[in-house]
Amino acid sequence: MVLPLRGKAEKNRAYWFFVTPAFFLYLLVFAFPIVLSIILSLSNYNGGKMFGGEPWTITGFQQYQKLVVDPAFWLALKNNVYIVLISVFGQIPLGFVLAYLIYRKIVKFGEGWQAMLYVPAIISVIVLGIMWRLIFDSNGVLAEMMNQTYASAFSAGLDHIVQGMNGTFTITDDVVRKILALSNPESLSSFANPVSDVKDLILSNGYSLQHIDAFKHDLTNLLAPKWSPDFMSQQDWSMIPIMFVTLWCWTGMYLILFHANMQKIDDQIIEAARIDGATEMKVMWHIIVPNLSGVIGNAAILCIAGSLNSFALIWAMTGGGPMNVTQVLAIYMYQNAFVGVPNFPLANAISMTIVIFSFILIGITLYLEKKYGGKEV
Amino acid sequence: MKKLALVLGLMALILVGASAADKTVLKFYYYIDATQAGYAEDQALWKKFQAANPDIDLQIEINSSQPYHQKLQAYISAGELPDVVYIWPTSRDSSKQIQDQKLVKDLRTVLPQDLLSKFSPLALDVNNQSSHILAELPQAFTYTTTVYANTGLLKSLGLKVPTTYAELKALVPKLKVKGIQTLALPDADKWPAQSCLFSTISGRLVGDKFIDDVKAGKAKFTDEGFVNALKFYESLYKDGVIDKSNVNLGYGEGPGIFASGKAAFFVDGDWRVGAFLTDKSTGKALIDPAAQKTNFDLVNFPAIPGEINKGTVSAIAGVGLAINKDLTGAKLDAAKRLLEFYYSKEFLTVKWETGAFVPSRLDVTSDKLEPLAVKLPLYYKSIPKTTYVLDGVLDPTVFNILNDGLQAIGLGVKTPAQVAADMQKAQDALK
Repeated sequence: MVLPLRGKAEKNRAYWFFVTPAFFLYLLVFAFPIVLSIILSLSNYNGGKMFGGEPWTITGFQQYQKLVVDPAFWLALKNNVYIVLISVFGQIPLGFVLAYLIYRKIVKFGEGWQAMLYVPAIISVIVLGIMWRLIFDSNGVLAEMMNQTYASAFSAGLDHIVQGMNGTFTITDDVVRKILALSNPESLSSFANPVSDVKDLILSNGYSLQHIDAFKHDLTNLLAPKWSPDFMSQQDWSMIPIMFVTLWCWTGMYLILFHANMQKIDDQIIEAARIDGATEMKVMWHIIVPNLSGVIGNAAILCIAGSLNSFALIWAMTGGGPMNVTQVLAIYMYQNAFVGVPNFPLANAISMTIVIFSFILIGITLYLEKKYGGKEV
Repeated sequence: MKKLALVLGLMALILVGASAADKTVLKFYYYIDATQAGYAEDQALWKKFQAANPDIDLQIEINSSQPYHQKLQAYISAGELPDVVYIWPTSRDSSKQIQDQKLVKDLRTVLPQDLLSKFSPLALDVNNQSSHILAELPQAFTYTTTVYANTGLLKSLGLKVPTTYAELKALVPKLKVKGIQTLALPDADKWPAQSCLFSTISGRLVGDKFIDDVKAGKAKFTDEGFVNALKFYESLYKDGVIDKSNVNLGYGEGPGIFASGKAAFFVDGDWRVGAFLTDKSTGKALIDPAAQKTNFDLVNFPAIPGEINKGTVSAIAGVGLAINKDLTGAKLDAAKRLLEFYYSKEFLTVKWETGAFVPSRLDVTSDKLEPLAVKLPLYYKSIPKTTYVLDGVLDPTVFNILNDGLQAIGLGVKTPAQVAADMQKAQDALK
């Protein structure tokens, strides 16, 4: 049976039938919240019922003016830029190269590597955040390892000093000075006169050659240099662990994305290039990259959108602290909406800046993809 | 047969639905730490309330610490304040809006006079609440600075509880040599340093009048006295009394560190006593009652050099339950019954026995208190005078800067003068 050709009217009906529900759904879940957010960001609404509650009015761009003079906003934005950079220029290239290595079977056990690298992406980011916090914490695994190393070095130094006593255990000022030379300067701040105070402390505890282990143990507790992750409380530096975890967490997702798309490329093109003498680098750069430029562009959009909304991982790792140095825009928005004194208009203004920056960055990505993407050289 | 079963089933469903519909739904947003001893007893009491009030469908939602405030803030913002809520008397986080906008009823008009008359006059003083109504009935008078001392540990090392800061500082090397911190103050949550220690330091070095003067524009946080208070706080870190690692420790980690002997002293609010008592559901205690009696004590913070208000400790009218102002009819009656149950002798006795607080209801007594709970009123008696808790009197925009600033001072990334200047800037912005 041959079906008749569809008429224009039928096509129109089908078009509206399928498009209308989706259009209204789009308005409801996407356009409506954005429009509402814009209105609230320009208002003095501060919680409660929107209609029938406390009266509120449109007050203009006051909240945006507050934002641009608030150092916390610029710090949060800068931290977000770090996340965007590590995502776009870290996750995507790394994911691409790893996918290529697996696709071209340059590394063995490709499927195993894929699975291993993808695992972080399927674990709850809250769990991952807590896990990494336990590693980077001031009492965490990293600090523990570093302090064990320092303690061993200090203890070895004490051994050397004790050996220099030639079989006696005589604590002189010179011996104490040698001990203090090995010590953490911060640990001496509680002594008015470090040499005499430490000497008194050693003598009052009655150490001897028979109790040399106790002597070493106690002095290591008291004076050994301590490592603490101070960089976690300094602007910019504190973002390094977060950027590292971001890279570790989601690179596997892009690996899967790129690898799946590489498998669509005709093998014969690559074989022909290899026969003509192209190196793996040339194959990657001149065949794979142009063929996947659209996918790379889409991956970049996903990356940018995800990075500007990053919240859960950082919240679990640092809570935006200490002293807000790891705060990003989403946390800054959350804190203005739900922590301490609520400022809903300001929180909405922050949300709008997130949307605006997303559009700008995605626009740049699309422009670059259109200009440079998909051209085989 | 199948049809009969279907009809019977439908009838049963209708009956169940009808009985549920007859109940008054009461939404109760409640603050309790589910990991703390006393939780099981608390929940058992609420079950008892439900059993005694079958006409009320009590929907309790539990939360604690900062997440409690964040969710309550979301409820307030959405105009969905629960029927009964646990709030603070002043500007602490989510309670600010409730108090400022009087979103809850004045309990003087709701609770019977014969119940209110059983509470201490301090609890009933509406000047202790920023709304100047009895927005909540303070269940206790809370001492936000309480120093928990491991006297057994000190004794084993030949040391004594210090009465002056110089004595406290002198303990540092003697404890450190044994791998023991002097004073634990986990401050990753930001508020503990301000609420549980700095308020007392400020009270002792500058006093309440200075804070009133700053609010009135007659003094500044940048004045020498207040900067000196911040400098003293800085010296706690510089002298090694508080280890820098505390800045990154979560609030929940303090009791474990202290009870395990990793710190000789621990500073927190008086409410933290409950963390050390026996959890009846497991029979376990962070500090067993025998050790509580002989090896632990609650002491005042040592004398600070230059203090003008000797021995003063920060304290505030305690938290309590409040009723949504929009409640009427059966819901209001249900809420009222819930509060009468909560403030009953039976409920408050259990709260004291589990170390949650010493009730402000004067006729509550018990002979089942664990030693550390017995020591609480003795601690109160040793305090000559109380002072402001700063997050109870300053605007949140100001005390949030102080909270951040105390972390910054602890980590050595800001000076006391910088923090004072930041606070003054925020205070000036309120004009």
